[in-house]
Amino acid sequence: MEFAWSNEQDAYRRRVSSFIERTLPKDWWTNYAHGIGTDAQLFYSKIFCPALAEEGLLVPQWPKEYGGADGNPWQQFILAEEMWSWNEPRGGQYMGVNWIGPALMRYGTQAQKDEHLTRIASGNVTWSQGFSEPQAGTDLAALKTRAERTNSGFKINGMKIWTSYARRADWIFLLARTGPERKSISCFLVPMTSPGIKVVPFPGLVEEGHLNEVYFDDVEVPESALVGEESKGWDVIRHALNYERVGLPRYHWARRTLDTAVAQLKKEGRFSDPIVRAAAGRIVAKCEAARLLTYLVVHQRITGEDTVDPNVQRLTAAEACLDLMSFLMEYTPDCLAGGDPMLENFYRSQIAATIAAGTYELQLDLIAQRGLGLPRGH
Amino acid sequence: MHLDFTEDQKALLASLEAIVEDHLAPPTEDRRGRYHYSQSLDAKLVSNGFLDAIRTPGMGAVEAAMVIEEVSRSPSVVEVSASALVAPHLLDEALPRPIVLASGDLSKAQRFLPVAKTVIYNAGDKVLVFAVDQANVETIDSIYAYPMGRFKTLPNLASARVIGGPDAVAKLHQWWRVALAAECAGAMKSAVDFVVDYTKQRKLFNTTIASFQAVQHRLAHAHRIARGLHFLVMKAAWSGDAFDANQAASFAQQHIQQLVFDLHQFNGGMGVTNENLLHFWTYRFRALQPEVGGANAAALETADLLWGSAA
Ligand SMILES: Cc1cc2nc3c(=O)[nH]c(=O)nc-3n(C[C@H](O)[C@H](O)[C@H](O)COP(=O)(O)OP(=O)(O)OC[C@H]3O[C@@H](n4cnc5c(N)ncnc54)[C@H](O)[C@@H]3O)c2cc1C
Repeated sequence: MEFAWSNEQDAYRRRVSSFIERTLPKDWWTNYAHGIGTDAQLFYSKIFCPALAEEGLLVPQWPKEYGGADGNPWQQFILAEEMWSWNEPRGGQYMGVNWIGPALMRYGTQAQKDEHLTRIASGNVTWSQGFSEPQAGTDLAALKTRAERTNSGFKINGMKIWTSYARRADWIFLLARTGPERKSISCFLVPMTSPGIKVVPFPGLVEEGHLNEVYFDDVEVPESALVGEESKGWDVIRHALNYERVGLPRYHWARRTLDTAVAQLKKEGRFSDPIVRAAAGRIVAKCEAARLLTYLVVHQRITGEDTVDPNVQRLTAAEACLDLMSFLMEYTPDCLAGGDPMLENFYRSQIAATIAAGTYELQLDLIAQRGLGLPRGH
Repeated sequence: MHLDFTEDQKALLASLEAIVEDHLAPPTEDRRGRYHYSQSLDAKLVSNGFLDAIRTPGMGAVEAAMVIEEVSRSPSVVEVSASALVAPHLLDEALPRPIVLASGDLSKAQRFLPVAKTVIYNAGDKVLVFAVDQANVETIDSIYAYPMGRFKTLPNLASARVIGGPDAVAKLHQWWRVALAAECAGAMKSAVDFVVDYTKQRKLFNTTIASFQAVQHRLAHAHRIARGLHFLVMKAAWSGDAFDANQAASFAQQHIQQLVFDLHQFNGGMGVTNENLLHFWTYRFRALQPEVGGANAAALETADLLWGSAA
């Protein structure tokens, strides 16, 4: 067991944090950091990510041949921790970097790799994920959007919902039904400027601008838009979700948010109450458990172990965030009504932490069945 | 960062497992007792040097915590925490054992007192050590799964050896927390395994109770808690940092209620009998739940460390 960062990793962290500090605008917290889905942050991410790429810090974990630095997953996580300390100036860029890129490396054609990987690695493209539909979230295989063969490729009809960042995205990684079987699903790379695509944003409890519906009305895509084999998209999805689900160092963001809440309570002279102090201290233990479990998952990514620890980590982080949300409501309730925007950001983004990218219940099922060997349940 | 045991640690674990494996059920005559103090496990740990891991070249607090965790997997109990991890951080020489860790009101029941030879006592501003006169110990019948006892008359602390002032108290608190968290981690792992096995066997409504999602989800949580705790314990032992010790104890103590409730619940009526092994683990967590001030004290100290005073 070794819990220390190496000198090299420490230096890497310093390099990332000093880049962020010298690059972000001085009024970052007041005028930009309003949540990853907001216009302010999404537009800024289009300036920040190319600069980050230029510095060699956007995809360090990718192989050199695709524009990376042959780095390891630790670098990806150190980077993510530092970014989340600043409320994620990369915006929705993680989609391309964390899982669409890796999925294309594994399943993409040479032409797809040439076209997309360099673009993702340069920070000049925003992706969205077109998986969920009104009747197909947890039960993703129930999706109804269809892609029918044409002479030159496919014609797509249907709709997606919840699609994060879609209204500002350049591309969508789309799942559509291509055959009669339940799992006859294929993956497509579709430009958001394609004729027949309509994006309808809708408001919600999460930050403004995050949620969208995307309609596909006879959208034509060429054969070359298909990723992997036709109707064999399930393998691609599984690979992609694997990468997607341990992307976000929530514990780090939670600790930072807790610091902010405590600073407010101190300023208001309310942090001498031992009940408040103990409540804050209790959350730290849960954050630290989530942190270590995340490090464990990174370690396992390197050693190639296949465990349910990613699910264990997700739940532990969710528990810490849920406790923190409750703390904010009890002790800094003004955060949802004109108070500190950083606290509001945290709260509103975490509302969906137990839903998006695999629900809480799904994680529990996976731990019970894959981890504890319990039978498929009732 | 390398979150796996080294080859040496794996070897240590394998030899420990080989010993603990022989103690996964108390002898028949003690199965219905409140607890079973295993003299044979104790003797094997001593003769194989496991309790001295921390003083062995190439080993340290991580190995001592591993010993506590692994031994705590047994339903039988042995005094390991104080001997293997806490006392060595306070004193160079080994103390006569078993050792009681005590704090506050000495008229109350103490874990291990009926079998103990030494007490390490937090007297508020100093740490004292004194020998136990067994003639002055009254055994208490308690459902806690430790030998529990109290002094018939309060020991004379004026003649106790002082081993340090406030620094020693802080050190005692810190390593006591790591030790209690390690005990919980080991015992939780066994308790979860035990209940998972039971739910796979118990058939109702033509199926096993393990197939009910309401059961599965709570067991998944139990597993997640034990897993998270294991790494908090290892980190705290590795770093020797009071902050990490607080997190390990706080996490353990915060979750004890949920674990004890869920694990007993799935054993139904059997879970409240002494015949069922579960209480040998769960009523150890219960005894550990309030130690060193419990989850809130660890949390308050965390607040002091992170955010300083209230101003
Ligand atoms: C903020 C946010 C952003 C999102 N971004 C995207 C995106 O960018 N792209 C995208 O494709 N999707 C996105 N999603 C959608 C997300 O993936 C789905 O909401 C999620 O998969 C759950 O699906 P659902 O909403 O249809 O809920 P349902 O699947 O209907 O689930 C409802 C409840 O039932 C529970 N449940 C379902 N099945 C079981 C079962 N077998 N056992 C026990 N309980 C069960 C679930 O756990 C959940 O609690 C986003 C969602 C949110 C909230």
